[in-house]
Amino acid sequence: MKNLIIIIIISVLAFTISSNSLYGQSDRDQIEVQVDGLGCPFCAYGLEKKFKEFKGIKDVKIEMETGQFNFSYPSEKGMTLEQVESQVDKAGYTAVTTKIIRADGTIEESKQNITELTDESTIVSKDIFVAGNCGMCKARIEKTAKSIEGVVKAEWDKDNKMLKLEYDSSQTSIGEVSESIAKAGHDTKYSKAEDGVYNDLPGCCQYERVQ
Amino acid sequence: MELNKYLLGLFLFLLVASCQNKTKEWTYQKTINLESTTPIGLTVIDNHIWVADGDNNQLVHLDDSGKVLFTEEGFERPMHIATDGKSIYVPEYGKDQITIFSGEERKILPLTDSLDAPAGIHYANEQFAIADFYNHRILFGNERGWISFGKEGKADGEFYYPTDVHIANNKIYVADAYNNRIQVFDTEGNHKMTIGEKDNMNAATGIYVSSSQVFITDFENDRVLVYDMEGVLAQEISEGLEKPTDILINDDVLYIANYKGRNLKTYLQN
Repeated sequence: MKNLIIIIIISVLAFTISSNSLYGQSDRDQIEVQVDGLGCPFCAYGLEKKFKEFKGIKDVKIEMETGQFNFSYPSEKGMTLEQVESQVDKAGYTAVTTKIIRADGTIEESKQNITELTDESTIVSKDIFVAGNCGMCKARIEKTAKSIEGVVKAEWDKDNKMLKLEYDSSQTSIGEVSESIAKAGHDTKYSKAEDGVYNDLPGCCQYERVQ
Repeated sequence: MELNKYLLGLFLFLLVASCQNKTKEWTYQKTINLESTTPIGLTVIDNHIWVADGDNNQLVHLDDSGKVLFTEEGFERPMHIATDGKSIYVPEYGKDQITIFSGEERKILPLTDSLDAPAGIHYANEQFAIADFYNHRILFGNERGWISFGKEGKADGEFYYPTDVHIANNKIYVADAYNNRIQVFDTEGNHKMTIGEKDNMNAATGIYVSSSQVFITDFENDRVLVYDMEGVLAQEISEGLEKPTDILINDDVLYIANYKGRNLKTYLQN
């Protein structure tokens, strides 16, 4: 009986140790951010550098091809989704999705806007000109458009500068989408970005202004 | 009759003059595949190319044929490197320092001011120039003293994220990356010339200056622009380039670091 108890205790300890090593350090949150437009190494390394401002950050991994940016952070500091997204913004990027896997296994994710269609809904397709330069512009333009309730689809083409939009005209309008994109720093056929917002865009995003 | 002789002479003179003025073009020679290496900066010691591999935090040492001889790990985002013929000067973007690498030994280049993401360094005539990326400025000097010039902006003498530098002809050439241009300064930091402003560059990231030409990588447009010393565009090299980051000439061969292609492209002038 005594031997059996010892064996059980050793087994439980071994299981606990192996679980911890399997899931990494149990006192750390794992943060996974999908960042669009990570094409330039100077800016990507800049993103990594910005996050080093958070003391205690570890296990930083950036995949430039996929835009995946992962790291771990001490759980007791309780990093929030907003803090992560704000720091990505500070580096000049746009967080498309953000996920925090807490040390206790709970998961927090950024909310995606999902437009709900009703009987009143009428889907309109429209292409509008939006000024921009690069992959970072594309991420910002599309995220801004998709965050508006009523927008079903938004795809911006870097080469011809056209935004393909599908939206429910009972919930939003081309004017509202256009205004929101201009507020994010991009001139459109219908709305112009304020100079201050344009000047705050990262260098590679500073497109030729629409006259 | 006299008129015919005169016209013939003029024709021959113009023909010879046009031949003499025609700049030789760089033509593609070969591709040196680097497999998993992502080349950002290049330098050369004794005909052996060294590559700064930013993504993998290492320096890669190549032999004459481009074969990898060995790698040196443990650098934090090494960028546009330089040499004095003995040591390699490595701007560590992630560590805000210039590391002097001499075989086994690593030291830090002493500076009188702090850097924020050094992106490029060059050494010539016992002096260094350093591109200080997030501080939008250039440091120039040596252990006897340093000067700093430039600030964030778009005017002459101002920078928007400078990424590389080259000292030549007693001048400092700067890849003013996100102002999409080259700026040229004297050794006191006075602005002398701007090159390429109207050529629609998108991220002018790497620079090299030979005795007769200025080369700049136009990163987002997948090309290298070649200018004469007066700033006149002489050639555009683009075939096969994917996000080029640096240029080097060694033994009459032009090397282009092709970051996304994970290779070096070589060219000969003819």
